[in-house]
Amino acid sequence: MGKEKIQINEEFWDIMPDDYKDLVTHSTYGKTDRGWKDVGSSTELIAEHSLCAGCPESIAFRHIMASIPAPEDTVMVGSTGCTSLVFPMVAVHNIHSLFGNQNAVATGLKRALNVRFPDKTKDVIVLAGDGATVDIGLDMTLQSWFRGEKFTTICFDNELYANTGGQESGLMQKGFVAKMAPVGKKFEKVRLPEIARESGCAYVAVLTTSKPSLVEKVVRQAVLIAREIGPTYLQIYTPCILEIGKQSMEGLQEMRDAESAGERFKFREYVTPEAQAFIDEVAAKKKAEKLASTSN
Amino acid sequence: MYNVAEISEEACVANKGCRLCIMYCPEANCILMNDEKKVAYVVESRCKGCELCVVVCNAAKHSAVAMVSR
Repeated sequence: MGKEKIQINEEFWDIMPDDYKDLVTHSTYGKTDRGWKDVGSSTELIAEHSLCAGCPESIAFRHIMASIPAPEDTVMVGSTGCTSLVFPMVAVHNIHSLFGNQNAVATGLKRALNVRFPDKTKDVIVLAGDGATVDIGLDMTLQSWFRGEKFTTICFDNELYANTGGQESGLMQKGFVAKMAPVGKKFEKVRLPEIARESGCAYVAVLTTSKPSLVEKVVRQAVLIAREIGPTYLQIYTPCILEIGKQSMEGLQEMRDAESAGERFKFREYVTPEAQAFIDEVAAKKKAEKLASTSN
Repeated sequence: MYNVAEISEEACVANKGCRLCIMYCPEANCILMNDEKKVAYVVESRCKGCELCVVVCNAAKHSAVAMVSR
């Protein structure tokens, strides 16, 4: 859909809510070079949400919404969890699926979009928590990768079931004692990034959201590779400060601790040679454009 | 009583390219840039008072953000 098609009819302009008008006049739809640098001076594609004060998940949400390459041509698929509290406030088309079904829904959606808009590029991005991706929806997640479905899966990994009170999840670290898992976890954290690599994902990255420039780079790469080559998977650490017993201002430090050397969220990415060639090609094209614009 | 962040216009170094509080605020459209004065400001009705902006600003030794009661 072109940006023109969703603009407000001039006669209705005066009765539209201010937030909507802001999105039309000050947002970054249609800009090819959008990124987190626009945040603060343009209207963001996410509005007042109901997540807790200081929630790192909402930082991740802001960074991701700022980094999506083409928001007007993107459909996001969410699942039950804290993320589903935010999706009603997101200015990008989105679908709420039943718990765990998100990758199956995204598969059908992506195929339908290809049939409906054969000459346009449509991005599908799955954004779900670790319970939906790894525990309850693992079947759908893995099968979509086995089939090589071309969309991006983003997992907000908070290492437990946060909004039901702190039950044990597959991605919880070994030995961690949560409010509703008092014995402590007896198994290792599921190595989903490695499983994703072996299951056919063209690009896999593990990171925290403590560096917006890194989030932007990774999200852009993941979406662009998913357009051309195959499934991509991002696992982003978004600690639940309530469930791990931190104050609202300590979330950022928690993420920085978790990504220090040797820790479980140290930045790592797995890129197939085909995807790497594609990344290099995109970078070379961008460099050539920049050179051409400066020499003019 | 409700705590919200307040940015001191004198201490803010946004004109040197600093965007720390804007980057790390968990709320969308909450800390914005005043493009004329080149300083950041807080939209108080959106601030939930988490103090993350105070932490990042103090860590960078700018100390431009403080919490105030409303």
